[in-house]
Amino acid sequence: MGAKLQVKDLSKSFGDLQVLRDMNFTVAEHEFVAIVGPSGCGKTTLLRTIAGIETPDAGAVIIDGKPIKGPGADRGFVFQQDSLLPWRTIWKNLVFGLEVNGRLNEANLADAKKLLQLVGLSGFEHFYPNQISGGMRQRVNLARALALNPEVLIMDEPFSALDAQTREMMQLELLRIWQRGRKTVLFITHQIDEAVFLADRIVVLGRRPGWVKETIPIDLPRPRDLTVKRTAKFGAYVDQVWSLIENDVRASIVEDAQLPAA
Amino acid sequence: MIEQAAEAGASAAAKAGPAAATSKRKPRRSPVLYWTSTASVVGGLLLWEFAGRFIVKKALFLTTPTQIVEATINLIAAGELQRHIIASGTEFIIGLVLAIVLGIAIGFAMASDRYAKRALGPWVAAFYATPTIAISPLIILWAGIGIWSKVIVVVINAVFPMIINTEAGLRSTDKQLIEAARCFGCNRLQVFWKVSLPSAVPFLFAGMKLSIGRALVAVVVAELFGSRAGLGFLLLQASDAFNMPLLFVSVVILAVSGMVLTWLVGVAERLLMPWRYTSEQE
Repeated sequence: MGAKLQVKDLSKSFGDLQVLRDMNFTVAEHEFVAIVGPSGCGKTTLLRTIAGIETPDAGAVIIDGKPIKGPGADRGFVFQQDSLLPWRTIWKNLVFGLEVNGRLNEANLADAKKLLQLVGLSGFEHFYPNQISGGMRQRVNLARALALNPEVLIMDEPFSALDAQTREMMQLELLRIWQRGRKTVLFITHQIDEAVFLADRIVVLGRRPGWVKETIPIDLPRPRDLTVKRTAKFGAYVDQVWSLIENDVRASIVEDAQLPAA
Repeated sequence: MIEQAAEAGASAAAKAGPAAATSKRKPRRSPVLYWTSTASVVGGLLLWEFAGRFIVKKALFLTTPTQIVEATINLIAAGELQRHIIASGTEFIIGLVLAIVLGIAIGFAMASDRYAKRALGPWVAAFYATPTIAISPLIILWAGIGIWSKVIVVVINAVFPMIINTEAGLRSTDKQLIEAARCFGCNRLQVFWKVSLPSAVPFLFAGMKLSIGRALVAVVVAELFGSRAGLGFLLLQASDAFNMPLLFVSVVILAVSGMVLTWLVGVAERLLMPWRYTSEQE
């Protein structure tokens, strides 16, 4: 399998603070990779660099063999639920990416309609984000990213603001949608069990500066449903990831207590 | 990916039809609550009329609503009231429009350029807090007693809330939204038009409401200091002649204008910010 997305020798500092150090990992075509790390692992900087709104000091982000130069529609982003524009209706939010990239043609709009159906929100076109639930907002977020038909889908803690039950349902929904077309996905999360449940591989990051500690392939059969979460194998994966980041998380808690401003 | 998946989504769509999630809460208004404002106003007027007829009696100290209505009718019949309203209204509208346009432009400059912010910041802060109405005699002295001196007074009183609110609105745009827009490939201009400006609209309305209030006061006070027509002029004339009903004609018209303008802004808010007036889901 060829690498669809490659993060190569990525380093970035802000002043004296090194945030990323020689970060290396790849995401193969049709692969679902989750990134897990403690706070301070440079996840925000990594994300901004992949988005092309931050330039690395060294290294590159490579998509289909070409280093990226700035933002582009080859990457689709799903953020936390509040990244929908509150003054736009669901439909207007959905086509936002197409609009700003000058791709509001008939074929794309027809595809966007199908996407709305795919995420189960047909009939909600004229609603505003504050009229629908958090889970529904996240479906719109997902559809908005898919509307650009990106090469890689990058999801930044998309379910972190949802309650536990909605989160589980959204994980299932995401797998259902992903199973159809198998987009290349890079999924960033704090939830270890979420990462194990969703991903083909988990990239575990260390902190200060951010670096790749270990990559763990998740060998659980697909399609997965929620019963997977109760198997011994699932628990073993969660323990394995947790043991890798446990010390870092402790360190970050101590540090946060000392530096409340940070 | 999309084509293959469309039929799979149909089932999910059926599960969650619009009706399931809308729950449009229409607050049930009780008829008593609905008429409370009207009853309050009518009751107050009756009390006033009663006090003026049976307790104070002297029209010089307390005029009554009926006397005010009478004075108003006489004034309209003489063609005087229209003249004063048009004079004040013209000054008010020109001044307010100028203040809003200037305020948005200066607020935008301060929000987007560090040098502009540094250069203009101290002036705006100083003038915003000062009762600039106090320098209106000076303006009359400089610009004469015609319409333009009043327009200038209105502008220097009404422009500052507009500047401050525009700047605050543009600055307070959710960083997450800007970041998301940039990730989707928005350039700086698109971020401004599609994210910052719409998100500042509620602030612009807040600034406008303050500006309208200040502009109304400014028109009247400026006319008191020197004019040939207008509601302030009428007010001064009436008080010089101890004609209380006439004085109150002007006061009532100003009060009603304030109410009508506030209502108009409310209507505009609903039209321009429909997302703020839709039912929220818990």
